[in-house]
Amino acid sequence: MLRFLIRRALGAIVIILLLICLTYFAFFSLAVDPAQLACPPKSCTPELLAQIRSNMHLNLPIYQQFWNYLSGLFVGQDLGQLGHCAAPCFGYSYNSQRFVWDEISANYPATFVLAIGGAVVFLAIGVGLGMLSAWKQGTMLDRVASSISLIGQSTQIYFVGPLAMALFVYNLQWLGIPKYVPFTQDPVGCFTGMLLPWLVMSIIFWANYTRQVRSLMLEQLSEDHIRAARAKGMSNRYVWWRYALRGAMAPIITIFGIDLGSVFSGAIITEYTFSIQGLGFLAVKSVNNADLYLELGVLIFSSVAILLFNIVVDAAYALLDPRVRLA
Amino acid sequence: MRLRKAALVPALVAVSALTLTACGGGGGKTAGSGSNKGATAGAAQSFSVGNKADSTGPAKDVPGAKKGGTAFDIETTGFDYLDPSQQYVNQLQAVGMLYSRQLTNYKTDPVTGKVTLVGDLATDTGTLADGGKTWTWTLKDGLKFEDGTPITSKDVKYAIERLYQDYQTNGATYFPTWLSGAGYRDVYKGPQTGELPDSVIGTPDAKTIVFHFQQAHTDANFAAAEPDITAIERSKDTGPQYNSHPVSIGPYKIADYQPDKSLTLVKNDQWDPNTDPLRHQYVDKWQFQLNVSSQQMTQRLMNGSGDDKNAMNLANNADPSLIKQIQDDTSMAPRTISQYTPFVDTFDINDTRVKDVNVRKALVAAFPAAQIQRLLGGSATGDIAGNLISPTIAGWQDSDPLGIKANKAGDPAKAKKILTDANQLNYHIEVGYANTPKWEGVANALVDALNQAGFKAEKKEIDATSYYSVIGKKDNQFDMYRTGWGADWPQGDTVIPPTLDGRLIADGATNYSHYNNDAMNKEMDTISAITDQTQAASQWMSLADKILTTDVPKIPLEYDKFFNVYGAGLGGVAYNPVLGCIDPSSVYLKG
Repeated sequence: MLRFLIRRALGAIVIILLLICLTYFAFFSLAVDPAQLACPPKSCTPELLAQIRSNMHLNLPIYQQFWNYLSGLFVGQDLGQLGHCAAPCFGYSYNSQRFVWDEISANYPATFVLAIGGAVVFLAIGVGLGMLSAWKQGTMLDRVASSISLIGQSTQIYFVGPLAMALFVYNLQWLGIPKYVPFTQDPVGCFTGMLLPWLVMSIIFWANYTRQVRSLMLEQLSEDHIRAARAKGMSNRYVWWRYALRGAMAPIITIFGIDLGSVFSGAIITEYTFSIQGLGFLAVKSVNNADLYLELGVLIFSSVAILLFNIVVDAAYALLDPRVRLA
Repeated sequence: MRLRKAALVPALVAVSALTLTACGGGGGKTAGSGSNKGATAGAAQSFSVGNKADSTGPAKDVPGAKKGGTAFDIETTGFDYLDPSQQYVNQLQAVGMLYSRQLTNYKTDPVTGKVTLVGDLATDTGTLADGGKTWTWTLKDGLKFEDGTPITSKDVKYAIERLYQDYQTNGATYFPTWLSGAGYRDVYKGPQTGELPDSVIGTPDAKTIVFHFQQAHTDANFAAAEPDITAIERSKDTGPQYNSHPVSIGPYKIADYQPDKSLTLVKNDQWDPNTDPLRHQYVDKWQFQLNVSSQQMTQRLMNGSGDDKNAMNLANNADPSLIKQIQDDTSMAPRTISQYTPFVDTFDINDTRVKDVNVRKALVAAFPAAQIQRLLGGSATGDIAGNLISPTIAGWQDSDPLGIKANKAGDPAKAKKILTDANQLNYHIEVGYANTPKWEGVANALVDALNQAGFKAEKKEIDATSYYSVIGKKDNQFDMYRTGWGADWPQGDTVIPPTLDGRLIADGATNYSHYNNDAMNKEMDTISAITDQTQAASQWMSLADKILTTDVPKIPLEYDKFFNVYGAGLGGVAYNPVLGCIDPSSVYLKG
């Protein structure tokens, strides 16, 4: 198992290095002058432009710039008049007048809470409904659950979000205005503030899980080893939980790993719908302002997070199915 | 000076919808009052320059105002800058009213809507000498920073000196430019290299500050109301980092600031109300939530549930999708603000390409003003403009020299006849537009109207983020394009010369129509030299109409309006038409 995890981690490191290399060169050697983009358009003077070049080491050959950036991620770097940028140094955002890491570290907790909470909700509801459908196959309950899944899969956050806000926040007033409050500051406020975004975001995901789990469970229940278990006299509940569900979960975990990554990196719409300032908000802001260092920082950070999630999911998969460790 | 500042104005308007005031020069010590003729809910405001008594604190109590509680504010963007030296757009000026002060400022009366330029840190609006080359202000007694340190004239001088530093890139540059010329950063590098000499800024004593401009500027009293003409405590200046926690000299101080997320202001116990003629300290605390979507902001202000009952927004219009709902709900009328901003939108005709004045007249005749107004959100966010001057500017008259308001739907037959008579039927017109859904819709409507009127028109899209850079080029490839213009202070000379003086035509300059008429340029010089500003205001208005009638370089489109609601629990919410945003300095909680 350890060897499996080390192999996965090494693979992830190679991918991250390749990604940093590719994006850095794409941003800083192919794009227009990065110093010009960082220079305030209203009052960009040749002196200021020269100062930006000097501070960001943009006067150096591109490979040296890259090395400075890469090493800065681990040991920090000096950015001229801007001072020392401590590790992990993702550069400086002239637009925000802050180090990029300060921006990212202020925003990622909101996305992290949104992604993890949303994932828990869509996994719990999706798997639960899927199991229920399989349990009551062909009944009204099955048809209702399948219909809900279909509707969920056909909707979009930017449609359901405002609708849910209008209903639960403004009209019924069951919930407060969605907002992110750090868990360490106010655990209850964190839960109540994020409940609606979690639920809305989960709608489009849980539908897929319901359908997948239903179909996988039914497939598992028709397998020989399930019949054998029943023939041995095992209880129906035991067979369900011990054999059928475990067998069905392996593919579900694979899908979950991909979805968790996409939720983490793609929460832009949810964040905008509920005015939560997370990584999605930063990504849009960086693109709108052509803020290359911030764009690159968000991209690298999100990629690392997605790869870490995938390693965790792979480990869980390997635990469930020992054959994976040998692959 | 004018070009540099003005260049940003419309660009920012296009991308952020924040109202940014523009440039000016000339001007004077007194201003005439605006007219409310033809105005609806957004009536033109009365405006005046106050005297010493008007500049003396404390501010007159707002009838019925109560003390205590927390006021909330919901913003659709973050605050780009809290450092007063870097503040320029009206949203930042509005929030700055709570913790920063300037030599002069605008006193807005929440009951009458009257706006008066008064001394803020200074005892009055200033004294000029040498025809406007020398300006002197005297600071009030009892002014203190939030740590209790007394404010002296040296602190005001320091605030100006720090504007010369390279990182100071976003504030207004009137004072440094007037003091040291356009290349002011080459002359002096900032306070770390020593003080500016007394021949530039003198501080003969702790209360007096004297500015020696290179040329006469009779409107320096208005420029002194810009956010960066303030007092900064040298020992607390941390350079660019000062932006995250500026030292307060106003009624509130910063307790917590999370960039892009929230700002909390609490009472500043070192602020003396007896020194302040325009601000109150009614609420205990201000809580700002930043970067809330436009729809959510509007919905929350409309509903007013929980804390939102005591919430407002400083400078954004209500979300277009909810404006009709606000208008139809009479219960929201008492807490709805619908007022003109200093901005006027126009369609500029590129005179370099469209040289025949008859073609330009035909464009006006065919112009579908009413249809475009509907596409832009209707009368809530803008009235059809008859001329180039905003109703918030001194001397404004409800004139319609081109007959746009009289012929709102456009007259294709008349346009076709003009073209036929001029032998220009099927004249090719390229309409440039910013590639956003809103402006694409406008371009479609305009092109259709022009084609029905005998033109051969087509639209060409321009990337919205570089729109003003593209149309700002002298040799741009478009015949018509939309621009917007606002004034920094309510004088006509902040509008006409920057946008229509032919001697200012250059790449990146703001004479977007490339209009150049020697006779009109001379008239601009003549009016600029008039010291009686009431007379000057009237003449700027006449000249603007004369230019339109004679040469048709632009087609007036809309007088922009501010339209939004605020929570029913708030009182003392005043609108400042000079800035085009809410002035929060008299806000209190009713409950």
